[in-house]
Amino acid sequence: MTAVTFDVAKLAGEYKDKTPSEILSLAIEHFENISISFSGAEDVVLIDMAVKIKPDIKVFSLDTGRLHPETYQFIEQVREHYNIKIDVMSPDSEQLETLIRDKGLYSFYNDGHQECCGIRKVMPLRRILSTLDAWITGQRQDQTPDTRSGIPAIQKDNTFSTDDRVLVKFNPLSLWTSQQVWQYIRNNDVPFNVLHSRGFASIGCEPCTRPILPNQHEREGRWWWEEATKKECGLHLDNIKK
Amino acid sequence: MNITMVKKIKKDGSPCRKCADVLRQLEENDLIDRIDQIVVADERDPDSEGMLLARKYKVEQAPFFVVEKDSQSAKIYTVYFKFVKEILSEGVSEQQEIKEIMDQNTDLDYL
Repeated sequence: MTAVTFDVAKLAGEYKDKTPSEILSLAIEHFENISISFSGAEDVVLIDMAVKIKPDIKVFSLDTGRLHPETYQFIEQVREHYNIKIDVMSPDSEQLETLIRDKGLYSFYNDGHQECCGIRKVMPLRRILSTLDAWITGQRQDQTPDTRSGIPAIQKDNTFSTDDRVLVKFNPLSLWTSQQVWQYIRNNDVPFNVLHSRGFASIGCEPCTRPILPNQHEREGRWWWEEATKKECGLHLDNIKK
Repeated sequence: MNITMVKKIKKDGSPCRKCADVLRQLEENDLIDRIDQIVVADERDPDSEGMLLARKYKVEQAPFFVVEKDSQSAKIYTVYFKFVKEILSEGVSEQQEIKEIMDQNTDLDYL
């Protein structure tokens, strides 16, 4: 089945309270051309669940070139442990070389991380997504301090869909807490990135990630030198609900 | 064809930074005249024209564009570069596209 024959709105309503495994089953049964986005962190639980449904599930990772050595080792460990193929996406070399030549290797400390992330992460993401009908992420609502932005279990990906191609995005862990994810990891002997044992809650690129202290939000371990939030595009529709 | 741009005024009365940025780009690229009307979604006033349009079309971010090609249907654009490419038929660089994608999807860089 393709996204054209998949009723996103109807199924999003029906599956909003389903378990991650049930959401994954729906995704995998409906879409042949679907892939899991694996960051090399605790979203490994998606792979653990998915291989029980489809042992050769497609998985991709975004190799920014700046990940911790432990993350590269973990991606390799996951590949071997589950006997799966992982599409490791690299940045466009020309774009990257231009950025580094013009601004150096640590431009994000002065200019913000967006430009670097755009080249190293979002462009390769868009490239792989242009080949898919659907994708699966480990995004959770509890990862976002801004609680207004609910992450649905199933959504049309308005950012990466085009006029002639609908892309569907599944977020099976959207309602799970970090605690539930880690309980699953422990209960099922799921391999995990050793950086988690060293206080890293959210794992990204090495220069832009640091361990956090107890009771800090996991996002405080990323881009800590930038303003806490510059997000202001949301319309507070709650104000007008009658 | 009729094009409406909806820009936001925040709860504290200040203009939305992204809306101002989009307006600046429209002006710099001589595209502003192709927008038929600009209306305000004032977060302090639920009955402001822009807030009503946001509710009608279930849009949750600003700015956005309402493109009506006939009286029967409207197409909504929340992504500026898509609107510029598809409706105004103007070229957009990949860097501009990516920047806007990241501005509007603040969780993407956590992937």
